[in-house]
Amino acid sequence: MALLEVRDLVVGYDQYPVLHGVSFDVEQGECCVLLGLNGAGKTTTVTTVAGMLQPQSGSITFDGKELRKGSPSQRVAGGISLSPEGRRLFPRLTVSQNLKLGAWSRRRDSKTLKRQMDLVRDYFPRLAERENQLAGTLSGGEQQMLAVGRAMMSRPKLLLIDEASLGLSPTVARTVWEVTSRIKADGTTVLMVEQNAGALPFADRALIMEKGTLVYTGVGDELRTVNLREAYLGSGA
Amino acid sequence: MSQELVVALVNGLFRGSVYALVALGIVLVYRATGVFNFAQTEFGTTGLFAAFVAVEMWHWDYALGLLFGISVAIVMGLVTERVVIRPLRHSSKVTLLVGTAGVATTAIGIQFWLTNEQPIREMPPIVEGSIATVLGVAITYQKVITVLVLIVVALALAAFFRSPSGLAIQAAQQEATAAELVGISVRRVSLMTWGIAAALGGLAGILSGPNDTFTAAFLTFGGGAALLPGLMAAVLAGMRSMPGALAGGLLVGIVEQLGALSALADLPGPKATILFVFLLVVLLLRPEGLFARKVVGA
Ligand SMILES: Nc1ncnc2c1ncn2[C@@H]1O[C@H](COP(=O)(O)OP(=O)(O)O)[C@@H](O)[C@H]1O
Ligand SMILES: [Mg+2]
Repeated sequence: MALLEVRDLVVGYDQYPVLHGVSFDVEQGECCVLLGLNGAGKTTTVTTVAGMLQPQSGSITFDGKELRKGSPSQRVAGGISLSPEGRRLFPRLTVSQNLKLGAWSRRRDSKTLKRQMDLVRDYFPRLAERENQLAGTLSGGEQQMLAVGRAMMSRPKLLLIDEASLGLSPTVARTVWEVTSRIKADGTTVLMVEQNAGALPFADRALIMEKGTLVYTGVGDELRTVNLREAYLGSGA
Repeated sequence: MSQELVVALVNGLFRGSVYALVALGIVLVYRATGVFNFAQTEFGTTGLFAAFVAVEMWHWDYALGLLFGISVAIVMGLVTERVVIRPLRHSSKVTLLVGTAGVATTAIGIQFWLTNEQPIREMPPIVEGSIATVLGVAITYQKVITVLVLIVVALALAAFFRSPSGLAIQAAQQEATAAELVGISVRRVSLMTWGIAAALGGLAGILSGPNDTFTAAFLTFGGGAALLPGLMAAVLAGMRSMPGALAGGLLVGIVEQLGALSALADLPGPKATILFVFLLVVLLLRPEGLFARKVVGA
């Protein structure tokens, strides 16, 4: 049984659906990338999994249990953490305060807090050097690292990362993806959302979404050799 | 130093402390909702009336009466959040603003109605008498206590905003979506914010009340009017800085009292005019306020 099982998910804003029955699995221990053009419905998919949006129909099963109507706080306590699109840091709080707040759902567990803090420092030495800097004054790349680091602070079983590479130089984007691979290797399952096909080498498997439906599921290697890239990701991909 | 100057400085510090308490509440709510809370000083008048009823009519111990007054103010803040602010959270800022004005006028209406037969009341001070006399000017215990309470409140708030709950409040104000994503209950945080703001208002009312007689709307338009000076202090703080609100409150109090000694005092409506001139000059020179930190973009 997969860690995350999404079945026939229909989600919309003000009743008008933008996801038309999306089904996919994310296996325990893998790094999966959800690719698609702008407006395909990727953000809607992951924010629904994170509990920010309620589906009109369909089901989400996580770790063997079906997730009913639930708030983000229940999801994060249950092991699903989202690094949201646009980073959404707390700009006038410091790097270390942002990280501490990432562990809000485990704030009474000081051992986990310390362990995750050490882990995040290890993943992102750049953040460790800037602990007392206000998040809003970090560079774009550092802000993205902090967004991922903050999401890791709750010690998730499933880490969702929405468009980590947005607005970053190719080198900085690669740095973030490399850490994603390490996070996966350390045992956290990862689902990352990307428009940038440069993320493919860092993923075990790819899902491609178009206009609110999944149009392709396959292993990354396969995708690299097939012309699907051009068909679904645009010529620039 | 002349006697007049001593009076102005003592009263300036005392009034300034009251304004600072009000301004802190205004800034706290402004950061959370983006609106100016018209009801901020009515938390104070209501708390003062509650303390008065407990101490003078029910003959409670003074300390218990104060506690009761603050509690009533806090309950009023929580009810305001639950009944007015939360249902209107997706409405425009103007609607929210009108909502807080509605709370203030309702509270004032109820106060007038309840005090119909005897509109003017007098609350005894916490400690009778003066702590010292400087150049013939008596410095009352009540004024000294008020300034001390402000200092304690300022230290407590500074510690609170570094605590996990305080960080959660700031997080929800700066980036509500991310706050929810990490598991912070934005609803609880909003209640907490209004509770603290109301407690600050309540303190302002209960501490300034015994200085004089009081009536309905005491802290809003009455003898102890602190809403406009509190708002001015908050504006000086760029509406966002808590240390700025504190400094702004003290500054407004002192400018108001010193101004009353100057030539400006001959203008009609002396106190308010002096403050308006002062605020205008400050905002012309520094539109972002005196004490505002540079706002960092997200
Ligand atoms: N808050 C919203 N209200 C209404 N429509 C929205 C909202 N957010 C996204 N949409 C619409 O839903 C569709 C999918 O958007 P999104 O999930 O953000 O796509 P992606 O992340 O793949 O770019 C788009 O057509 C978009 O216009
Ligand atoms: Mg998106």
